[in-house]
Amino acid sequence: MSAPGAAPTAEPRFGEVYDRGYRHYEGPRHGQASSVWALARYSMARALGFKKSWTAKIIPILLYVGAILPVVVVVGVTAFFPAADVMSYPEYFSTIFLLEGIFVAAIAPELLCPDRREGVLPLYFSRPITRLDYVIAKMLAAAILTLTISLLPAVILWLGKQLLTGQPLAAMRDHLGDLGRIGAAGVLIAFYIGAVGLLVSSFTERKGVAVGIIVLGFLLTESLSGALSVALADRPPWDQWVILLSPSRTVFRMATALWGVEVSGRMGGGLPLGAVIGVMAAVVAVCCGIVAWRYAARD
Amino acid sequence: MAATLIHQPESATVATDLAFETRGLTKRYGSIIALDSVDLAAPRTSIGLLGANGAGKSTLIKLLLGLIRPDAGDARVLGRDIRTDAVPIRAQVGYMPEGDCLPADATAADFVAHMAEISGLPSRAARQRAADVLYQVGLEEERYRLIKGFSTGMKQRVKLAQAIVHDPQLVFLDEPTNGMDPQGRDEMLALIARIHRMLDISVVLSSHILDDVERVCRYVIILDAGRLVAAQSLEEPGQVGDALFVRIDGDPAVFAARLAALGVEAELGNPERGRDELTIPRADAAAYDAIRDAAADLGVPLRSLRARTRSLEDLYFGNVAHQRGPDGRVA
Repeated sequence: MSAPGAAPTAEPRFGEVYDRGYRHYEGPRHGQASSVWALARYSMARALGFKKSWTAKIIPILLYVGAILPVVVVVGVTAFFPAADVMSYPEYFSTIFLLEGIFVAAIAPELLCPDRREGVLPLYFSRPITRLDYVIAKMLAAAILTLTISLLPAVILWLGKQLLTGQPLAAMRDHLGDLGRIGAAGVLIAFYIGAVGLLVSSFTERKGVAVGIIVLGFLLTESLSGALSVALADRPPWDQWVILLSPSRTVFRMATALWGVEVSGRMGGGLPLGAVIGVMAAVVAVCCGIVAWRYAARD
Repeated sequence: MAATLIHQPESATVATDLAFETRGLTKRYGSIIALDSVDLAAPRTSIGLLGANGAGKSTLIKLLLGLIRPDAGDARVLGRDIRTDAVPIRAQVGYMPEGDCLPADATAADFVAHMAEISGLPSRAARQRAADVLYQVGLEEERYRLIKGFSTGMKQRVKLAQAIVHDPQLVFLDEPTNGMDPQGRDEMLALIARIHRMLDISVVLSSHILDDVERVCRYVIILDAGRLVAAQSLEEPGQVGDALFVRIDGDPAVFAARLAALGVEAELGNPERGRDELTIPRADAAAYDAIRDAAADLGVPLRSLRARTRSLEDLYFGNVAHQRGPDGRVA
């Protein structure tokens, strides 16, 4: 047996036993940013069910399939019927918004609730990160994961549409504006619903409760917005502003405004893009602020 | 124990012989004083933090880790201020909480490696270190199993592994033997002793079990109702009593008279063993010589000669009783 802690130096012989001992770590140590990124990566993997049972993976997989399905259909139909304009980008974002909402309802509680329920937070907070770092890592994880469903399929749709033209490179160059709008819409949606999902999840340690509140909140805000929209039909512009209470109609109005598509007053046609984006940014800021407050030290 | 805080310039590594030091450290939860103006200077060794439930042990650890803020006073850990250097401090210390703190559906290897990464180790080094420390705590075979299938003892080992995976200089262990069976407790204490003696990591072992502290620690801090009642080495002469018990074949009274003639005061009898022994209440090096000379002069064989040792239990109850007063209330 070799000396404790000593690495084998000579040619190893078959069957030789080494005492691995304990060696002090003298390698590099990264800073807080690296720790935050490590936490974000780990959180994303856990939320998607990596290294967990298949039951933990099935919902994210189904949702990704659901998000990519419209893309496959649109690209497929366009391949056979080039003249057909099957689905515009605003229609696409509006169509998959429900799926994005379900996705966030599934992954946001997974990002925060287990850490509270299983008591892992004291371990994180005893590491060289601050409580705000923890919140930033979780927000980063939520944003990146939501982007994979709000942005990635839309980019694939754009790419598919361009590749089906006679001159793909020229088509890509001509439609770079669409790509920019897709990027803006994807990022806005990801932060908007991701922040709401984290906000709800920060108030409970039970994933089921968080999922229930997110779904219920979605249904309630949609109903409230619809009812107020009808009730205030003769009091413009309030009948349009109240659509911003509805996440789905807010996203629809944001997308239509980005692409300059005319919509009716009841769908917020009179609301300027800046106002819609402003409201979405305010929702993100308030949600993030409350989540940070939830995790701030209170003695 | 009064301590003078040494204010040092900020640097990547602060040289100090102290694991931690506090001055007037106070923490209140509403009207309850969890820690009451504690002054400490704890050396870098294996430190037992002893006290009943609610004595303030966990509060002290959380304050030193910067997890909660003090209401008054200062503290430095490894020479750094807990108010301004909490993050650098936490890079150099490990923490094993008292309660459940492990994710059920992660493997031990993944989770410990993740904790190493959070402490700043690169990914590959983190995985290697995780494998090494899990081997050290006796979980080499089980490291790829989900934690939810682990026994209480195995979970405690995982908690210990994550506390040392980043190679800290100081590790806080909060009630590490809680809920463990006698064999598991023995093994855990042996591991903790090994961490200090072989791995050269300073250990703060918080416990309400005197035996745990006595077996592992070289220094003890006793808290009671948020107050510091004792902080001393378990190896210093004051801990070993200064009385000697002597048994001889012969008349103890004659032996005592001979000792008196040699200038050593001896009392007949031993309050613990009966009257066939002599007690020398204040024994020094000369007393040993006198005992030898008296035995030689009288031609009587010495049957036994032993020093009275005060156990940690004596120290604990003596100090806590002194702190609380005769009615059991905190003075």
